[in-house]
This record gives sequence, C-alpha cells and structure tokens, in this order.
Amino acid sequence: MLEELKKIREEALKKLETVESEEDLSELNVSVLGRNGALTNILRAMSKLAPDERAALGKAANEVKQSLSAVFDEAKTSLEEKSEEQKIKAETLDVTLPGVIEIPAGRLNPLTIVYRQIRDALIGLGFTTFEGPEIEYDDYNFTKLNLPLNHPARDMQDTFYVNDRVLLRTHTSPCEARALMTLKPPFRVVIPGRCFRVDEPDASHSPIFMQMEGLVVDKNLTFADLKGTIDTFVKAVFGENVKSRLRPSYFPFTEPSAEVDISCTICGGKGCSSCKGTGWMEIMGCGMTNPHEIENCGLDPKEWKAFAFGVGVDRVACLKYGISDIRLIYEGDARFLRQL
Amino acid sequence: MKLPLKWLKDYVDFNISNKEFATRMLLRGFEVADIIPEVKASGVYVCTIDSISQHPDAERLSVCSVDIGRRDENGEKQPITIVTNAKNIYEGCQVPVALDGAVLADGMLIKPTKMRGVLSEGMFCGGAEIGIGDVEYEGAGGDSVLILEEKHTNGEPIETALGLDDVIFDIELTPNRTDCQSIIGICREAASALGQTLKEPEIKSITGEGDASDYAKVTVENPKLCPRYLARVVTDLKIEPSPKWMQLRLKLAGIRPINNIVDITNFVLLEYGHPMHAFDLACIKDGHIVVRNAKENEIVTTLDGKEREMSPDMLLIADPEKGVGVAGVMGGLNSEITENTKVTLFESAVFLPENIRHTTRKLHHSTDSSARFTKGVEAVNAQKAIDRAIELVEMLGAGKVVGGLIDVCERQPEARTASANIERVNAILNTAFTGEDMCALLASINIPSRVDGGELVIDVPHYRTDIESGLETDADIAEEIGRLYGYDNIAPTLMNGETFHGKLGASFAFDDRIKDQLVAMGFMELYNYNFTSPQEYDQLLIPIGDEKRRTVRIRNPFGEDQSLMRTTLIGGLLRTARTNLNKKSGHTRFFEIGNVHFDNDPDLPEERRRIGLVMFASSDDFYIMKGVVEQLFKFVGAEGLRFERGGGEYLHPGQKALILIDGESVGEMGAVHPKVKRAFDISAPCFIAEIDFNKFFAHIKTDRKFKPLPKFPTVPRDLALVIDENTEAQSVIDVIAATKTDALIEGVRVFDVFYPNVPGEKGIPEGKKSMAVRFELRSDEHTLNDEEINRSVNAILKALKYKLDAVLRS
Repeated sequence: MLEELKKIREEALKKLETVESEEDLSELNVSVLGRNGALTNILRAMSKLAPDERAALGKAANEVKQSLSAVFDEAKTSLEEKSEEQKIKAETLDVTLPGVIEIPAGRLNPLTIVYRQIRDALIGLGFTTFEGPEIEYDDYNFTKLNLPLNHPARDMQDTFYVNDRVLLRTHTSPCEARALMTLKPPFRVVIPGRCFRVDEPDASHSPIFMQMEGLVVDKNLTFADLKGTIDTFVKAVFGENVKSRLRPSYFPFTEPSAEVDISCTICGGKGCSSCKGTGWMEIMGCGMTNPHEIENCGLDPKEWKAFAFGVGVDRVACLKYGISDIRLIYEGDARFLRQL
Repeated sequence: MKLPLKWLKDYVDFNISNKEFATRMLLRGFEVADIIPEVKASGVYVCTIDSISQHPDAERLSVCSVDIGRRDENGEKQPITIVTNAKNIYEGCQVPVALDGAVLADGMLIKPTKMRGVLSEGMFCGGAEIGIGDVEYEGAGGDSVLILEEKHTNGEPIETALGLDDVIFDIELTPNRTDCQSIIGICREAASALGQTLKEPEIKSITGEGDASDYAKVTVENPKLCPRYLARVVTDLKIEPSPKWMQLRLKLAGIRPINNIVDITNFVLLEYGHPMHAFDLACIKDGHIVVRNAKENEIVTTLDGKEREMSPDMLLIADPEKGVGVAGVMGGLNSEITENTKVTLFESAVFLPENIRHTTRKLHHSTDSSARFTKGVEAVNAQKAIDRAIELVEMLGAGKVVGGLIDVCERQPEARTASANIERVNAILNTAFTGEDMCALLASINIPSRVDGGELVIDVPHYRTDIESGLETDADIAEEIGRLYGYDNIAPTLMNGETFHGKLGASFAFDDRIKDQLVAMGFMELYNYNFTSPQEYDQLLIPIGDEKRRTVRIRNPFGEDQSLMRTTLIGGLLRTARTNLNKKSGHTRFFEIGNVHFDNDPDLPEERRRIGLVMFASSDDFYIMKGVVEQLFKFVGAEGLRFERGGGEYLHPGQKALILIDGESVGEMGAVHPKVKRAFDISAPCFIAEIDFNKFFAHIKTDRKFKPLPKFPTVPRDLALVIDENTEAQSVIDVIAATKTDALIEGVRVFDVFYPNVPGEKGIPEGKKSMAVRFELRSDEHTLNDEEINRSVNAILKALKYKLDAVLRS
C-alpha cells in the first residue's frame, strides 16, 4: 500500500502541473483528498490492516496528505493571484475619457465671490457685517449724509423714486446713517447691498449694482489710518503687488474726500489700453466722514471721528476677471457663469 | 471744463509735458479726462504741387507730382504722385496732403489707392477734411482743396504750419469747485500745480459817459430767486463778427461764434464762469427789466426759436408787457441782438441754483448758462464778469459804454473769514504742520491766511463758496492742506484704539451656507433685476388681491415693463430658464437669494429676503426638486421639516407643496403650471421652489447639542401595507410615528409605492395601492426581545388599521 501511496502522490503532483484554473485544482483536490478521493480511500482501507502495519502506513499516508494539502493550497493562492491579475488587467480603463457626474457643476456668481473676498478682508481688520433696506428714506440716502434737498451733488446720482420721501437707495451709504444712529461707537462695519441708479444699461453701467461700504467710527481716526486701511484692503483683494493711491475728490458725505486708484491689474502700472495709459485704475471713493453727517446722525463731531469708503463690487469683479460687459453678471447665462 | 493750453499759457508759465500736467492736476483733484488736439485730423502735411498732368484714362482726374519735402542722400527731390479731381489747384501752389496712414477729421483712414490705373499715394485736403473752417484759416470754409496763402515748409505737419497745434484739456470738475468752471479759476489751480504764480488779469474799469439809469431800469420782484441783478448799457453798437482770436477761443471751448456782443458774453462766461446776457434795449418796453415769477402758461420764445411754456414756479426776465427771457436758461427771441441793434443792456445776475435746476428740468432744456447757474454762481464774480464784458466792448470798439452800474442787490456781498484749528487739522491728516506751513500752502492757491494763536484765520476768497465758516472748517482746510501737500506724501498708518473683533453676522453666515450648499448641488447663482412688469403677475396667474400684487411702484421707471419692484423671485427664475434653454447653455439649475418688497406699510415698504430655485432638465421631476429642498434644509440644520399639499396658483395643482418647519410655512415648491410655462415660453419640465430666508433662518438651531449614541441595538422592520390609493405617505408616517409602544420608533420612511395595473394584481383590490414602509425600533434601557418587538409592530398595525384602514399585504 505504501507503493500505492507513493503512486497517488506522484500522480497528484503530475496532474497539478497541468492544472490551469481554480476549478481544475478543486477537482484534483477532491479526487485525491475528497471524501471519495484516492488517499481517503487508502486511509479508509487501513482499518483492515494489522495495528503495527497500520501505524506505519498511517504515518506515511498523513505525511502524503499534509504535503499534498500544502502543495494544493500554494497552487490555489497562486491561481487566485493570477486570476485577480487578469481581472485587474481586464478592468483597465481609458483614463482620459471624460468623467461622469450626475450633479452638474454649480457656480457662485462673481459678485458673491468678490463680495466675500472684500468682506473677509475687512473682517480680518476688525469690521463687522451690517445691512439696511434697499428701499430707503430720502432722508437717510441724502439729507443725513449732508446732501440736503436741492444740493447740486444729488445730480451725481440719478435716483429712482417711490414717492417724495422714499427712493431706491443710490448707494449703501444710508446704512452709514443707520449704523451711526443705532450702534454704540466706537465700531467698524462693512455693509454690502444692492443699489439702484437711473443708468441705462450698457457695457459699463447697470441700473442695479452691488456696493460695499466700510465705516469706522472712533475717537482718534486720521486720514493716514484711512490710507492704511484702504491699502490693506486692496492688497487682500487684488494681491500683494498691487499698489493703491488716494487722490483728492469730492463727496458731500466726506471731507477730505479721495478717489482710490489701484495700479492697473492688466499691465501692472506700465500703462495699457485698459488704464488709458495711466497705469492706474479707479476703484472706489472714500474719505473722512463729514462732521455734518456725524452731527446729523446724533453724534458729537468734536468727540467722534469717522471714515468711510464705498466700493462697487461689480466694478471690482469686472477688473478681477476681465469681464468686458457688466450686463453679463445679471443675465444668468450659464455659459458666462461657468467660466468663473 | 475745457481748458485750451494756449489760454492757460496766457496766465501761467507752462513748463512741463501735457501728460505730466494731467497727472499733477489729477493729484490735486482735477481729473483730465482727455487731451484733445485742436486739429482733429492727423498725418496731414504741407506739400507743393510741382506739376499737374491729365490722367491717361480719366477725363476728370489729374495726376500731380508733389513735393512733400522728401530728399534722398544726394539731396534729390523724392516727389510722390497724387491723383485728384480738384479743379482749383495749380502748379507751384501749396496745399495740405493726407499721406498713407492719415486719419481725417471724420475718421476716414487714408491709404494709397489706384485710381483708374494710376497709384495715388495720398489725398489733397480741404478745410473740412482737416476739421477747420474760416475761423481757423481764411478759405478753409470752402469745399475745394485748401490753397495755403503763406509760404510753408513742405513736409511740415499742417497743424503746426497753420498755428493750430493747440490742445484742449478736458477737465472733470467735482461739484464743490464751482469756481473752477472758468478759465481763471482752473488756471489758479493749474498755476499752483505747476509751482507758478497765476498772472491774474486786472480788469480795467471803464466808467463811460452818461448814466445807465437814463436808459434802463431794473426791478427784481422776487429777490429770493434773484439775489443780485447787475446791468450796464452800451450805445452806438457796431454789430460785426468778433475778432479771430476771440472766435478761435470760443470754438476751442465748443461755443459757436455769433457776433461781437454775443461773443463777448460767451467769452466772459468761459473766462470768469459767470453767464451773461445781452438784450437789444430797443425791444425792452420803457427799458424796464422786471425779474418776476412767470404767469401760468406764459409763453416765451427763446433764442433757439422754441416756444417755452412757463409756470409760476419759474423765474422770468420781462419788461412791463412781455417776457424777454427765461431767467438763467436762455434769452428771448424778441430781444435778441441783431445786426440792427444799436443799444444793448448787459445782464449779469445771480439766480438761485435750485430754482434754475427746477426750470431746466421742467422745460427739458439746459444750456451752458443754466449748467453754471445750477451749480452755483456768486455775487462778486457777477460784477467781475460785467466789468470784463465792458472792458472787452471797449477793447473791440463794439460801442460806446454808458457810465453807471445798475445794481439791484438785497445785500451787498461781504468779505468772509473762516477759522480752522491748527491742531485739529493736523489731527485729521496725521501731519505736523506749523500754522505758517499751512499759510504757505494756502497762499499757493491765492488764499490769504494768518496764524492767530492755535487758529488759522483764513480770508475766504469770494469764489471759494465750498469753504465753510463753521462746523466743517477744520475738515475743509484739512482737505486743502492735504491736497496741496499731496495725499501721496501722507504715510499710511494702521488704526489704533481698542481691539476690535471682526464678526460675520449670523444671517450673513447663513447666506454663505445656503449658497455653498446649493452650488454643491449643481446650482448656479443669479442676480436678477428687481424690476418687473405688471403683466408678469398675470402671466404667473397671481389672483387679484393676492399679497404678491401689493407691489411697490417706481415713480420714474425706465418703462412700464420695469416699473414695479418684484414681490417674488419666480418671474426672474422663469426668465432665466427660458434664456438658458433658448441659448442651449447646457445648464438647468439656478438659484437666487434676493430681496422682494411689499407695499403694505405707509412708511417704508416691507422688505423680505427670498431663496429661489429653478430646475428644468428633461429628466427632472417633482421628487428631484423635493430632494434638493430636503437636502438644503438638512445641511443647514433645520429640523421638523414637512411638506403639505398647497402653494401658489403658478404651480401645477397636482404637484405643489408647502414647505413647513415646526408647522410654520416657510416656502413652497412644485412643478410650474403648464399655463405659466406657456406664458414664459418654456417647454421643458420646470420646477420651482421659493423659500423665505428669514423664516427659514429663524428655525435654524444654532445651539445644537450632542445626544449620546444609542447603547442598545436598533431593530429594523419593513411593512408592506395595502391602503386606500388616495392616502398620502405623510399620514402613514404620522400614524406610525405617533403610535405608543414599549419601544422607541425612529426613522419612519416610505420606500416603495405600487399601484396595481389591473385590480387584484399582486392581491391588491380595486381602489387600493401597496405602500412599503420601514422604521427602526429600539429602547434606551435594554435590548428589545422578540415579544416586545412583536407587541410594538402589532400596536402599529392596529393603529394603521384603525386610522387609515391599512392592512398588511398577504
């Protein structure tokens, strides 16, 4: 029977060499080690043998069984690896084909992106958000801001009226009056919002636009502080390399007043067609709050100083993204929105 | 304000480039918007026509050999060929020629062109092509080629050859600097910017013989609207064209020369910024000027020949019988200066700016004069102007000046001082000027001042009406000092004072979260206009009397279709859908967060913020939109979200729902009603949601606390129910969730609904449907045993049977 054992082993090993699949292997395994397998049959037949003969043969049979088991296991692992390799190979994709996603890509409007940048820069400087209504009292929009009825500077801002007392705010500045009247100084606020002016829409005008106002009220504010604040703000929004410059201007609600220019974002200040060769681009107005406004809003201008600035979010968006027609911002055409 | 460089040079030594001048003015608050050359054409040169021969193939054309001053290295002439149809040219004459690349006054670009086979290298020009007329150069007004009178160098640019090489600085003025709407005023600033002294002309006072009051009389009935009225009389007029130099100046500033007397008033308007008028005194009844309010419907025909219907709120210049001019706007045709005028009355008056503004608006007519009056003129300058006009009359020999100034003035203008605190001015600017430093800076723009202790006392020039004597003085002087010193020279600092903590307000943060979540769900953000049309509310099927009809109306809209402030975002969303469908933009999800306004407060309209969503992909349906809404609410942490059938008329009656949180309706959603879709020309499936931002925000739990995780396992259970086909899922969920059992019931949801195609299919009788629900059972105290689970499920089934007649599917 020992001979037979040897033969079983040899035949099994020989057959193993021809095994190509896990099924073949499993079949081989069953034919040798299975319930009716060759080896099992020998073990079963052993019961008829003498005890000493049985022990010797049993030992030999077990050795064969164990060694074959080990060999089969090894073969199995290798076959599994091979088949996984094949499977992986079969799964190879053209990774340059387009991606598939069920949800199309959404986009924030450029106004929101720019608004957040400006706002966050100012929050970093200690400003807090504040807001007021889009439909306002003439009193807050003009009179309290040192623009009494018939003030020639009212002509600077063509106004949509609801009635003699109520209008669509022409700037976010009426919120300055609201802040001065309701907040306890000192404070720093940033005020975003929609504004309205009677401007026929064209590439650079929109009757509806978004403005952001900054207002700081404190005891010892100076024009130099205003310059420092503007410069920090400009660098945060446009980049470290962008310079800012203040030049004299006029707004009824500020004195001294200034217009803020930044070094041209297109040419970097060398002069190009976008900046009309000057190297500078106008982005906003600012100034030390007029003492009349401070007084009109119930604070003592001898005690409290303030400065303010107002920036057109649309204008900044157009500059930052090179948008040549402001109307695109409001048209809601996905072909425009998805570019930003 | 148009400032010709040559005029500037009369008063200031100009020693820098035009561009540098523009920059310096800009840094003082005067933006030079444009530098315009006097001659519009460029690339036009002087040439001599050496020979003229007949064109071989065209009878009407001549071929000319032309010397444009070009020489080769041996000094040989390099003539060019010009083909022309001009008839007035002759050999040896000098004419202007536009060469390759020239741009003519009308914008036409010149290129070498073959004319009937002969190459012409340019074009001879007449005055019109260069953009000049007889005023600039005698003969330039004709149609033919301009034959130059004097001898010029060939090849010289035409503008320098003719002495027309001036430039005009177009300067933008801020409304506070009314004094700079004059050549003198702007030159005063220019002189300072150039570091020069203004050579201010002294006006020679002309007394004249006789007395104006023998010829004329002025009565001002409403001195409030006309604080000062000055008049002088000139007799023996010789009406003729004004001299060339005066005409040229007027033309450069954009004013058409008329005759010597009218030109004088316009010249003074430019020079001193004060509008004047000249009447033919013979046409003024009794020589009596009456300044009064117009009568209702009183008609005045103005110089432009138009009839102006006046009203009592407008000021009229009249004689005892009739109107002779609209005050501050335009003179009357009936008293205009003609070639026959012998005696004139010059008017130099001050009118109230707001009244003139009112008049120009009401008449829809503004002029150079009214523009200055509305910005504000002042009484001292009014006298300077009339004195200057009289001086010019004498200078031009236009007539005989009569002595005596008629001055109707309530209160003679007085000198004014203002006092600024030196320390406070420095505190505003963060500078350390001494009082003397400040005096020196102010002196550069001719403002006299002196130090008096800690104060700077300023003799405010009459024309600087923008400098206040009072609360604003410190700030006004700080601005002048800062401006003259240069804003650039003030070093920026960082604010000090107490520490501020910047804060993003809660509603602003909420706005961010909603927007970010919607973008993550594939929505693009809109900023639609707030304006809408009355028709849109009909298109949206909004019933008469509905709150959405309580719109705020704009009094002066662009047009009826933009006359209302929106009360809903829906119209804009639908228009966006249509635009993107029509343009095949390839995107179908959009949202907006914007304000709407309701006219239900007599004070300020009520403002509410809305979140609007629109989806219109062909694969979209009600449940996709509902999923978006649910996801949005979950993301920002709203609990107790429910949907109930309901919503506006613009929605599909069978597919609309109110969105509720804790029982309060915060918005609505659904499919757009087919009629509305038709009205908006949308054929794709279209779904809308509109949510009230503030109501939504009010339900957000900002103080959410952690709950311990369940200690004992949960047991999921599915039930397949047979139920009336009209019973909605929510009622099943509510019944299950409300059942009192030993176990906690959580996460009740419907996961399948089946309507039989034929009665009895899958054992479902007619009028019924099958609904599969799932929920979890658990306990906080122990692991549930089978008995407890069965008891709970049975209690649920009992409640379902009792309340909804629902049974388990067998």
